[in-house]
This record gives sequence, C-alpha cells and structure tokens, in this order.
Amino acid sequence: MNEPWGKDGPALAARAVTKTYANGVRAVRGVDLEVPPGEIRAVVGENGAGKSTLMKLFYGLEQPSSGTILIGGRPRTLRGPASAIALGVGMVHQNLMLVPSFTVAQNVVLGVEPGRRGLVDPKAAVETTARLAAEAGLSVDPRARVDEVSVGMRQRAEILKALHRQAKVLILDEPTAVLTPQETEDLFAAVRRLRDGGMTVLFISHKLREVREISDQVSVMRAGSLVGTVATADATERSLASMMVGRDLSLDVDRSPARTAQVTLRVRNLGYEAPVGQSLHGLDFDVAAGEIVGVAGIEGNGQSELAEILAGLRRPTEGTVHVGGTDTAGLDVAGHRRAGIGYVPEDRLHNGAALDESIADNLVVDRHDRPPLARRGILHPNAVRAHAERLIEEYAIRTPDPSVPVRALSGGNMQKVIVARELSAGPRLLIASQVTRGVDVGAMRFMYEQLIAARDAGAAVLLFSADLTELLALSDWLLVLREGRLVGRFDDTTGLTEKRVGLYMLGVEEHDRAHLTTGLGLTGTGTGEASTA
Amino acid sequence: MTTTPMTAIEAEDRRQYRTTRRRDLAVDLSMALATILAALAIGFLVMLATGNDPVRAYEVMLTGPLDRSFRVGRWLEDATTLTLLGLSVAIPFRARQISLGAESQLYAGALAAAAVAIFLPLPAVAAVIVPMVAAAMAGAGMGLVPGSMKARLGANEIVATLMLNAIAVRVYDYLVNGPLKEPGSSAVHSKSIQEDSALTPLSEWFGIPMGRANVGLGLMLVTAVALWLLITRTPLGYRIRMTGSNPDFAAYGGIKVPRVIEWSFVIGGAVAGLAGAHLVQGVYGRLEPGLAGSLAFEGIVVALLARNNPLVVVVAGLFYSYLRAGGDIMEQQTDVGTEIVVVIQAVIVLLVTAQALPDLLKRRIARRQVGVR
Amino acid sequence: MSSVLDVVLSSAFLAAVLRVATPYLLAAFGGLVAERAGVSNIALEGQMLSAACTGALVAGYSGSVAAGAVCGVAVATLLGVLLAALRLELGADAIIAGIGINLLASGATAYAVYTLLDDKGGTSGLKSGTLPTVTLPGIESIPVVGDVLSGQNLITWLAFLVAPFVAWLFYRTRFGFHLRAVGEMPDAAASVGIPVRRVQYAGLALSGALAGLAGVFLSMGYVSFFVRDMTAGRGFIALAAVFLGGLRPWGVFLAALGFGAAEALAVQLGTLDVPPQLVSTIPYAMTLVALAVYAWRRKRRGTTTEVAASL
Repeated sequence: MNEPWGKDGPALAARAVTKTYANGVRAVRGVDLEVPPGEIRAVVGENGAGKSTLMKLFYGLEQPSSGTILIGGRPRTLRGPASAIALGVGMVHQNLMLVPSFTVAQNVVLGVEPGRRGLVDPKAAVETTARLAAEAGLSVDPRARVDEVSVGMRQRAEILKALHRQAKVLILDEPTAVLTPQETEDLFAAVRRLRDGGMTVLFISHKLREVREISDQVSVMRAGSLVGTVATADATERSLASMMVGRDLSLDVDRSPARTAQVTLRVRNLGYEAPVGQSLHGLDFDVAAGEIVGVAGIEGNGQSELAEILAGLRRPTEGTVHVGGTDTAGLDVAGHRRAGIGYVPEDRLHNGAALDESIADNLVVDRHDRPPLARRGILHPNAVRAHAERLIEEYAIRTPDPSVPVRALSGGNMQKVIVARELSAGPRLLIASQVTRGVDVGAMRFMYEQLIAARDAGAAVLLFSADLTELLALSDWLLVLREGRLVGRFDDTTGLTEKRVGLYMLGVEEHDRAHLTTGLGLTGTGTGEASTA
Repeated sequence: MTTTPMTAIEAEDRRQYRTTRRRDLAVDLSMALATILAALAIGFLVMLATGNDPVRAYEVMLTGPLDRSFRVGRWLEDATTLTLLGLSVAIPFRARQISLGAESQLYAGALAAAAVAIFLPLPAVAAVIVPMVAAAMAGAGMGLVPGSMKARLGANEIVATLMLNAIAVRVYDYLVNGPLKEPGSSAVHSKSIQEDSALTPLSEWFGIPMGRANVGLGLMLVTAVALWLLITRTPLGYRIRMTGSNPDFAAYGGIKVPRVIEWSFVIGGAVAGLAGAHLVQGVYGRLEPGLAGSLAFEGIVVALLARNNPLVVVVAGLFYSYLRAGGDIMEQQTDVGTEIVVVIQAVIVLLVTAQALPDLLKRRIARRQVGVR
Repeated sequence: MSSVLDVVLSSAFLAAVLRVATPYLLAAFGGLVAERAGVSNIALEGQMLSAACTGALVAGYSGSVAAGAVCGVAVATLLGVLLAALRLELGADAIIAGIGINLLASGATAYAVYTLLDDKGGTSGLKSGTLPTVTLPGIESIPVVGDVLSGQNLITWLAFLVAPFVAWLFYRTRFGFHLRAVGEMPDAAASVGIPVRRVQYAGLALSGALAGLAGVFLSMGYVSFFVRDMTAGRGFIALAAVFLGGLRPWGVFLAALGFGAAEALAVQLGTLDVPPQLVSTIPYAMTLVALAVYAWRRKRRGTTTEVAASL
C-alpha cells in the first residue's frame, strides 16, 4: 500500500520548513531536521516552541507554508493524515484519539477495517489486535470498551493502531503525561523493542529526565526554530534546559519554611460514592493556615473528586469537612466560596472560564452580586471594568483590553485570569489543581510565586498536581492518594525523592493508619511508626 | 514577576485592538445590510424565474406598508406581537436554552387575558392591567414546565417545548370551539372582552386611521428596554449570560444554574404571555381560532437575526413585520404570492447562521491591510 | 370501555397503526442517522414537506408516480446536503440552519403551489396518483395478519425494513462504523484518515432521503395530493422519537411505532364522542411524560449521555 521508500537517507526529514497560520502566528520557522531510520529521537521545547505543529506537519494535519517534508527519503505532499498513514507515519496524540464507545479492537482497526465489500469483520478485528499486541508486547483487552479501560491501555491501543497500519515512523506526543511511573517504564521498554525492530520513533516531551532515559538523540526547539541536535549521551538535563529557554533554568523554587498557625481545613472520615469515576473512602487530614500541602497520586485516583468536594461541586456521602470552623455540609458552591474557599480547577477550559465572555466578566463570577460591583440589584459595568483593570495590572495579564474574550488569551494568561480571580477573593483555603498545566515557563514561575505568596499571607493551600517535581518543590508536606484512600503522608518534603513517593502512588508501600492520622486527635491512634521498608 | 509599566508594544497592541474592533463592527453592520440585499436578490430571481414582474412586486412590497396610515397601523400592530415573541425567546436563548415554546406560552397568555377581560368586572385602569398580569403569569407558568424539566431533570427542552406547543394549540382550539365559544354565534370565536379592558388604539391618539395598532406598541418598547437592562445591568442578567456561555463555569463560580435556566424560561414565558394579551386586548378584542398563526416561529427568527440582543430585536421585529405587511399588499396588488416573503426570510436566516461568512470576510480584509503595511 | 378495546383489537386499527406510523418511522430514522453522524437534523420537517410537494407536482405534471417519488426524495436529499454544507462549510448552527430550511420549505412549497395552480390550499386540483400497494402472495389467507398487511403501501413496507437496514448499516458496515466514529469523536476519525466531512455529507444526505420518503408517502401514499404545511409537525415528533429511542435503531423503531399507534388511537377514539382536539393531544402528552420519566431515570442512574445533550 505504501509508496516506495528510498533505500538510504533519513526516515523523516524537514527542509527549511515554515508554518504560518492564517491568523499570522508563525509557529515553525525554517526548521531543518533529519531523523535516520531506527532511531529514537526526542524533540523537546517549551510550550509553544513549535513541537506539536512540527509533528502535525509530519502527520499531514497541517501543511507547511514553505519548505519540504520528506518521508522515507523522498519529498512528499501530505494532504491529510490519510496520506501520512499511507506513507507509514503513525502518531499517538497527547489527548488520545479514540472513540470511547468502541472497543479497543474496533479502535485499532478504525479506518482500515478487515472485511469484504464494505462490511466489517469483528472477529478478524479482535484477532488482529490480539496478534499485534502479542508481537509488540503491549498488553490490551481487545474486547473491552475504551471508556472502561485505563489510560495506559488506551495509549497502548493507540500504538497498536499505528502498528496495524504498518507504521515505520511513530510519533509520540507527550506520551507519559498521563502514565504512572510503572506504565512509563513499560512504555519505554515497548518503544525500545520497536526501535530494535527498525521503527523510527519521534518522542515529544518536556520531561528532560525521561528524554535522557529513552532517546538516542535530542533535538531542541525554541520559539519555532530548531536550536540544535545533540547526542543524548552528551547532554545533561541542565544543558538541555538552557538550550530550551536560552538561560539557565533553575528547577528550585525559592521557598522559606512555612509558618503555620491554626488548622484551617479539617477533613474527617470523608467518603464519597462516585456514580462514575473514583470513590473516596475514610479520608482524615488537616491543613493549617500558612502551609502548602501537596496531594500526590496517579491521575484518576480520586484527586478530582476530592478537589471538587472541597470546592462544593460534589457532595460527600460520608464524613465532615470544616473550613475555618464552618461545617460545609449542606452548603452550595456559593456557600463554600463564602466560607473562604478558592478553587483553581484542573481543566480551565472545562469550567475555569467562559471562553467567549470578556476577561472582565470572567473575573467577577463569584462576586457579581455584591458591592462594589452590584448595589441594590443593579450591576455596574464600569465597576466591573475597573475591577478587571486592577487585576490585569496586579497579575500582569497580557491583554490590550478587559473586554477581550478569554478565548483570545494564551494558556498562561488564561490561567492568570483564573488565579487572579481566586486569589483576589482572599481565600482562607485555596484548592489549586494542575495550576501549571499547559502554561509556559514564565507563567509557571509566576504561579509558583503566587501560591507561595498566598501561603505566606496566611492561606491554607491544598495543591493537586500530576507533576511530582512541582509538588515536591512547592509543598511543605505531602499526602498520597491511591484508589480513593490516603496511603502516604510525608511530613517533610526536604530530601524526599520522586522515586520514594512513586512507591506509595503505585501501591508498593503504604503508611499505616496510625502514621497517617498522627496529630489529628482521633481516638485509638498511637504515635505509630511509618511502615516504610 | 512584578508588574511593569505599559511598554510601547503594549500601547501598540491596544491601539491595534481598538482598530480591529472598529473594523469588525463596520464589517458586521455592512454584512447585515448585504445579507438583506442578497436575500432580496434571491427573491428577485425566484420571481423572475416564475414569470412574475419582480420590479413591480418589490415596489409594492417595499413602499406599500407606508402608503396609507392604516397600513402603517397594520405593520406596527404585527410588529408589536412579533417583537414581543422575539424577545420572549431571546432571553432563554441567552442562557443557551433552545426554547421553541413561545407558541404555547402565547396561547396560555391569551386564554388568561381573555378569561379575566371577559368574565371579571374590574374598575377602569385595573381592567387593562389585571388581564395583562394574568397573561404574563400564565405564560410564565407555561414556560416553567419545560424550564424545570430541563433544569431539574435534564430533559431536552426542544422536544418538551414542541410537545407543549402541540398540546396548547389543540387545547386552545377545543376551548374556542367549545366552552368559550360565544353562545348563539355562527362564527367560531369567544365573546368580546369588556370595553374597559381594551388597549387604546393609536387611532384615538393620533386622530388618523391606524387600524388595530394600539398602545401595546409602547408596552413592547418598554419591555425591550427592560429586558436589555436586565441582561446587561443586573446580577440575574449576568448569571443568564454566564450560564449560556459555559454552564460548568457558572456552576463552578457559585451560580445556581438550574434556577437561572428556570428564570430564563419564566421571563421568556411572561413576555410571550404579554404577546397573547396584546392579541386579545389590543388586536382582536376576543379569542379567535389560530390566534398566533406562524408568528411564534417567526419570533425565533427575529431573535436570531438580532443575536438575542433585546434592543436589536426591536429593529429586527420592525423590519421583519414590514416585509410581512408588504408581502400581503403585494399579493393583493400583483400576482405574486405573499409566500415569497417567507422564502426571503428563510434565506436571511440561512445567511445569518452561516457564521463563517463574515469571519472569512474579516480575515480577508485584515490580510489585505497587513499586506498594505 | 369495551368499545375502546374493540377498536384497539380490530385488524383495521392495526392496519391503521402501520399506515400512520410510516412517516414517523422513516423520518425518525432520518433523524437518527443525522444525529449519529454528529449533526442534529431539525430540518426533517422541511425535507418531508418539500418531498411531499415536489412528489405531487412532478407526478401530476409528468403523469408518472415513480418520477414524482424519485424527484421528491431527491429534493429532500439535496436539502440534507444543504444543511450539511451550511454546518460543515460555513460554520452554521445546525438547529438554526434547520429552522431556516424548514422556513424555506414552508414558503417555497406554498409559493410554488400558488404560482403553478393559483391555489392557496394545495394540489387537490392536480391529478397526481398514489404509489402502488404491495400484497405478498398468499398473505391474505392468513387470519388477522393478512388483513393487517395486505394492501399496505409500498412505502409502508419500506418503512418497516428501514429499522433492520439502519441497524445493519450502523453495526456491520464500514460506512456505519465510520459514521458512528465521526459523530462521536470527529478528531479520532480524522486522525486515522477517515474523511469526516464526506461521511457527514453522506449521513445527512441519507437522512434527507429517508425524510423525503416519509414526505412522498404523505402526498402519494394514502392520499393523492399535497396540502399546504401537510407535515403538521411530524418531523418534530420524529425527532422526539429519536431521543426517546435512546439514539439506538430498535429503540427509535419502538418509539416511532408508539407515536403512530397513539395517533391512530386518537383518530379512532375521536369517533366515540370525545372532543377530537383533546384526544389528539394524547401522543404529545405521552411524549412529554415519557421525556420527563426518561430524563429522571437517566439522572438517577447518574450517567449523563453527552450525545443527548448535544442538541
């Protein structure tokens, strides 16, 4: 089916490729890139450096404005993913491209279904999937519906999809973002096996440690241009980081020790029966004013549910939550906010903002019905605007005007709007979920500074993040959540390693109840030792 | 990161943003005009193709309604009902609730207004106001049904409102043909309302024949302004806008989304009820079979043309009614059927909903300006 | 109430159910195909109306019933393609574009009839004929079944074949596979090289064609003329059946059949000294109640179906 590949030369190459979008944004500038066959090539860069756009060009999702894409050593014109697939390019997207109600097997064969005369042979689909899975060492259940399997299996299904199309080049776009450390290890093993079988792999990431582990060579992108390509053996995380941002990037966060005061958040025996998703069981913990408490865990182990319960978006089925002495049982979302709870939601596009409304309107959703914005049932547009101008200045939101719709902002600026709103309310308890997801390095530092400033101003901060490095750098102490239960508690994060926390996240180790509830004043609790090995 | 004083780049950004906004506004306005002209051009071609004289037809259609004062009256009377119906759907539309239930709400309002205005003796001023209040409440109640079903249960509001329309039309038909039919009359209609309950005709004010146009026109204008203030200047209006833009965001921000959805239906229903009261107290003076005709659906079109902005709904309603009135005159004076107006209206709707068209144009203009620079 | 039972159990009533359910079935499956392709087709009403009008006019002027039916279905198909073009090429809201098409159909059919026949009401002045009825050999000798099935219109037979056909199309064919993928997750479909737009165009064309068959049945099945606005909201009822049927072929089949049965019942009860207007509200009231119960049960189960919320 594939057009012939050239015998020699790179499996994949770009010659002076530039991509300018219709809105004038130049995402890729004059990139020259060559990837020889059978190599794992990492492409790293900040958010917005052009990595994803470059990959879209290789996969035919976008067409270059100028320059040439070469696949199999020959210049190609890719009109769409179909032509890239036909040339043996497979891509595993960051947000997986699977049909939720289809089975794994149906997703694997989608687009190239086995069967004759326009019919689909379901049995052949299952057999093909099982055979491919066995060959590649990627374990999946071909008959399971995709929306009922783990993220890891979904990703393996995506790779099988590419293999089923006889891909010779596999593009992995930030594949480890949603994986557990163990799943990441398995993925890397499978990728190495594929490479040894002759597959060319493009590995997009911003996790430098993983890049060092998996790749043969690293290409660094910055602001749409290719800065350089180095052999992985010669690169250090620090040298790569400085190539990415053009300055030495310090991963340390400047943070003084916490000065904690009285307990702000008191959670006792919290349980939640989830209709869909993860249920929670018997959570006990305190967060004091003036400290940042990190909640570690593999995504989907109850973090979202816990955050939304504390914010009042879901009701617990058991237990109590007190915030600053107020029992939040029976309060609605507005009541939670009145009790002094601020919430930076994990998915800002889902519920953090009304994208088509102005920045000004987005900044007042929790306070639109009271002075100074509204008096005696009348909302004053000028007050709303003045309020926005103040926050835009204070939080350095880059926008020409408060009336600009939030949709027009970059990820980092959008997140600043949300953080500005939640912090300017002066919360007693701040729940911050994935604050730095999809924002650039500058905005990331800004978020860190704001969280620490809020802490130092006396807020209790509960921090949820999928990024362990970030959690360890910011948190004064750490909780670990697994399958809806607390399984680990580290009262000091200094010297704590990601690997150690990972053991708890994965269920290899677990603290006993006595250790988890130390100092909470629960009856029947001794000063138990941690059962760490 | 500390706050920095405004840089030259930011000032430049700001200037450019203002220019862009001005340009977009100009494009929007000219697009609206172009849309209408394009629709009229298509109507022209259709008439030409079907062997009619389009020039004469348009001449009659576009000048006819202003010809004589009673024709102006007919236009304004029609526009009052139509605009009220447009306003009634614009509010739920702002909360992104596709309520197609104006028809059922109008009939509920008409029945309530008629019941009070026919059977309840009231002193002079109350005789006008009480039926209207009853109509607004009946319409609001009719709106609350699909509103609550949507807000509390998540039932699809399109299906619910369509079903309620079908039911309301039939029940109304039964009542006008049965219990409420004027005894002894051979024609099907109810008894007339008491004289005190009638909305004063404009003819009485201006001393020229204005048909059945009445002070309901003023009521409609006041309603439009009130709704505009509601949307832009009240917390409830803010909640309606945020709910329409992103209900998950509204809920996250502490807004009680189900209650906002119900309010949007109730307010819309009340306004549609007023439209029913206008027909009973101002236009017909009694219940007639098929009171609303196709007005309820055309109200939806008016709201869409106006992008659910209450003040623009008035303009769109006046324009739309003008075409309707012109179409009727055209049919009387030429061979062209008034249905061509519906075709023209449909083309306008289709052009307006083709959102990519103005964006394409804006982008092209922007590109040309960049090229010039 | 024994008279009611007599009515319901008569073979004449069952035959009436099949007849009345025919346009609902066809239009509902039209709605289902569009919905599963990811575009709500609220223009079913207008597509039916255009097909009914075109069918009667073409049959009347050409003298060929077949030509009328083909042209009717073709016009409805084109309106399906028009909806697809507005939605996919010009970014139109499917609901609003659908309302626009309904308006267009209502205006254009009335204008055409008035211009051609100088009649505001319909085409009763034009002799257009009906589509043939089909009687399977030997079926008349079977008691009850024979009475119910014999002499049913060709399109009624087609309507009852549409359910297995669509089920087969959705779950057995490559096209159906792609259609469902496109409707549920267009990005996923595009990323494996499925031509998303082409599939949606095809889905909406098929949707329009099915609505067209329903329309042709109205003006050429049981009666032989077109009446202004003769669809009388059937397209919207069909859309209700799509949702009541849970977007699944057999569910939609049962829902549409139920609407047909309820309407046939209303007509029959109307002969029994009950106000016909009130009797005719029964199917709508039933739908409303079913809608509430269905939504309530779904809410209690706690699973929110995103597909249903797409409207």
